[in-house]
Amino acid sequence: MKDLSYTDINQKVMGGMSPPGRVYLFFVASCFLGIVSGALCWAYQIATGMGVEGIKHPMVWGTYLINFVFWVGIAHSGTLISAILFLFRASWRTPIARSAEAMTVFAIATAGLFPFIHLGRVWIVYWILPYPNQRNLWPNFQSPLVFDVIAISTYLLVSALFWYTGLIPDLAVIRDNTRGIKHKVYKFFSLGWLGSHTQWRHHGAAYLFFAALATPLVISVHSVVSWDFALSIVPGWHSTIFAPYFVAGAIHSGLAMVITLLIPLRRIYRFENLITTRILENLAKTIILTSLIVSYSYGIEYFMAWYSGNMAERDTFIWRAIGNYAPQFWIMIICNSIVPLGFCFKKLRTNLVSLFVICLLVNLGMWFERYVIILSSIAHEFDPYSWGSAYRPTWVELGIMLGSFSLFFFLFLLFVKFLPSVSITEVKETLKTPARPL
Amino acid sequence: MINNSGLIGIFARRNCLQAALKALRKNRVDIQAVYSPVPLHEVEEALSAKPSSVRYFTLTGALLGIVSGIFLSAYTSLQWNFIVGGKPVVSYVPMVIVAFEFCILLAIVFNLLGMLVNSQLPRFSIPVHYDTRFTQDRFGILVQCAESERATVTTILKAAGAEEVRHAT
Repeated sequence: MKDLSYTDINQKVMGGMSPPGRVYLFFVASCFLGIVSGALCWAYQIATGMGVEGIKHPMVWGTYLINFVFWVGIAHSGTLISAILFLFRASWRTPIARSAEAMTVFAIATAGLFPFIHLGRVWIVYWILPYPNQRNLWPNFQSPLVFDVIAISTYLLVSALFWYTGLIPDLAVIRDNTRGIKHKVYKFFSLGWLGSHTQWRHHGAAYLFFAALATPLVISVHSVVSWDFALSIVPGWHSTIFAPYFVAGAIHSGLAMVITLLIPLRRIYRFENLITTRILENLAKTIILTSLIVSYSYGIEYFMAWYSGNMAERDTFIWRAIGNYAPQFWIMIICNSIVPLGFCFKKLRTNLVSLFVICLLVNLGMWFERYVIILSSIAHEFDPYSWGSAYRPTWVELGIMLGSFSLFFFLFLLFVKFLPSVSITEVKETLKTPARPL
Repeated sequence: MINNSGLIGIFARRNCLQAALKALRKNRVDIQAVYSPVPLHEVEEALSAKPSSVRYFTLTGALLGIVSGIFLSAYTSLQWNFIVGGKPVVSYVPMVIVAFEFCILLAIVFNLLGMLVNSQLPRFSIPVHYDTRFTQDRFGILVQCAESERATVTTILKAAGAEEVRHAT
């Protein structure tokens, strides 16, 4: 990458925004169909009632909550890469920061849909807003569910603004290299950016504050999500380790998703000398760390269940490993704790096929982690009536889940075609500035 | 405020730009703006004595967020006036979370606002002197000078290695 010039960077990144080919259109059309299927399933649920879902007492939280937690988790590594690694001055994150940030925004937007879907009567969602009303109802700001609404809304807005602020100078690059309607659109969104020293100074200061504020926010968001569970008294949920455990798990799944998206991206757009194997290797090394933290959390949960002497807790954890949810539990253990250790071998973390496969397995494992945490706990509550309840998602829930994955990939596909998927300015900053030999 | 009258020098090399800035400052020429495809921290420091004032906007937003979060949760609790979990109606511990999230939210909104206000954005007309190569690989210096000084300033810019010097009108 060091051999590239400023012009090469402009051309390379803008090359990715050239008119799409058939393969791209095929994927966009497939994702669009997936979104339509999901929307139809949701419409069917609204028209028919919540009975079309597999969620029934005591299994009141099914795939909607699993997907909600999954997508919020996916969002986290974007902020890790764009904000936390920025503060640590890890320059290797530069070429991937933009895509990771985009992934954050799309994942959190997708996650945000699930509470609406789960509400049932979505058209009266405004009832949960704090405003004087004739029903004299107010949201309970002592409830973790209300914390969650505030945290997720804040996270969506902050990550979208952070992403947009970083994009402004790059939008100006595109504005200056396009004509006609495209020029007008990019001119509007670049806000008239000129790249003067005053603008760079204030932009740099604002960007630093964005990173500094997004860092504690990202940790708080998944902690708050974990408190949706941990602040209840359900065995398997009521644990103080939940906040760090969820944050580590979120970054674990998010990093895997970043690699899953970057490998095809660098191949399709020939970004091999921008998104280098070294960057992917660094991400893989970080996955080893998050995998170890997640595995430690799994171990601590079992240790605490035994050490606390709490019968209900102990029984829940034994049942989790050998009961109705045992297959999902063991998928979780294998995919999150054992498979990522393959990255300890240089050959596996530098080979694109093994990187891609391991990351897909981590994504699968992390989805099942949420499945196990949510379902196996409420299926083994204090009330013996609950014991052994088996939950199976219905076709409506699976359709909505397909819609959510399609929406995420659809947004990402649009992003790589209409916006610079690599930060032009930040990559230029890492290059040697053109200078006259002295 | 950028004045469109004056001269603009365009450079292909960063060290030429720095040499030109040094010479212009030595001759007390009024430097209006320096354009570059990347942030040039040494130029920002040389031309702007004070650190960016964006931080004051961010701090205002953060403080306003904390106050709003506490006010909202306390006010709604008092309106609802219902004991939950045996805790006082207005409980302080849960307020910390609400206040924290509002602190970040408003700090970020004010931070962006601070950047836009200070950078004089959005602007929907591009100045005539602006060169589209400034977002690619060229650097520019916009100076304001009297008609009688133009020849001298042009010589300074050319001597430092400017590729092109033209009227910024």
